[in-house]
Amino acid sequence: MQDSTPFSFTLVITGAPYSSQAPQSALSFAAAAIRAGHRVDRVFLYGDGVQLASALASPPSDEPHWPREWSTFLEEHGIPGVACIASALRRGLVDEGEQKRYELPASNLLAPFTIAGLGEWVEGRMASSRTVYFHGSD
Amino acid sequence: MSTLIVIDQPPYGSWAGREALDMAFSLAAFDQPVSLLFCGAGVNWLRKGQEPGTIRQKSVEKNLAAAPIFGVEALLADGGDCNRYGLESEQLLDGVTLVQADSQLFTKYSHTAFAG
Repeated sequence: MQDSTPFSFTLVITGAPYSSQAPQSALSFAAAAIRAGHRVDRVFLYGDGVQLASALASPPSDEPHWPREWSTFLEEHGIPGVACIASALRRGLVDEGEQKRYELPASNLLAPFTIAGLGEWVEGRMASSRTVYFHGSD
Repeated sequence: MSTLIVIDQPPYGSWAGREALDMAFSLAAFDQPVSLLFCGAGVNWLRKGQEPGTIRQKSVEKNLAAAPIFGVEALLADGGDCNRYGLESEQLLDGVTLVQADSQLFTKYSHTAFAG
């Protein structure tokens, strides 16, 4: 490596698992960054990317379970994973608080993901030395 | 640290542009300098007199009118893409600056985010 100064990354995922490769590419990137001595400050799910935080995803057993793989990765490395609240509510992803507020029949947010506003993204891009986006195919 | 949010998606038929607009408004709300660039099919955002009521969508024209109020610094549109979509300057919303969306433009910003 020419420059040994470690970077800190905010990752933004806007593509959903199973309809885009965005969450998978982001996970490979995050793992490689950490292996190389960099830091991942937070992962922000936006747009269709919020589908990654669904606790109800049940892919066939011979396919990778991207929500679970991401969840394990975040917990292992103590990285906050945040789903944008506006994107999440539109797409049927809610935590217990939003379930109560909107009187919905269930909640389905996968731990350790949390739901918060775009301010989390603004803060991430101000605090991290790099912000990297992983988009869907649109 | 100024940011360019690039909307290259059409205003209707895809949600990506709307969510990119929210990103721009959010930065502005936190007093972060931000400009919007419309290019590709995204230039259609800037068309005057949009009436998406028949497809049960809200007009993005109204959303965009709020940009200066939120503190978005500039609304930029790629001139070549406006031509491609038959958009004459009198058909464009007020306050739009025509530019050439090339690498020179992007180097003026420390951070660039694309819709979608």
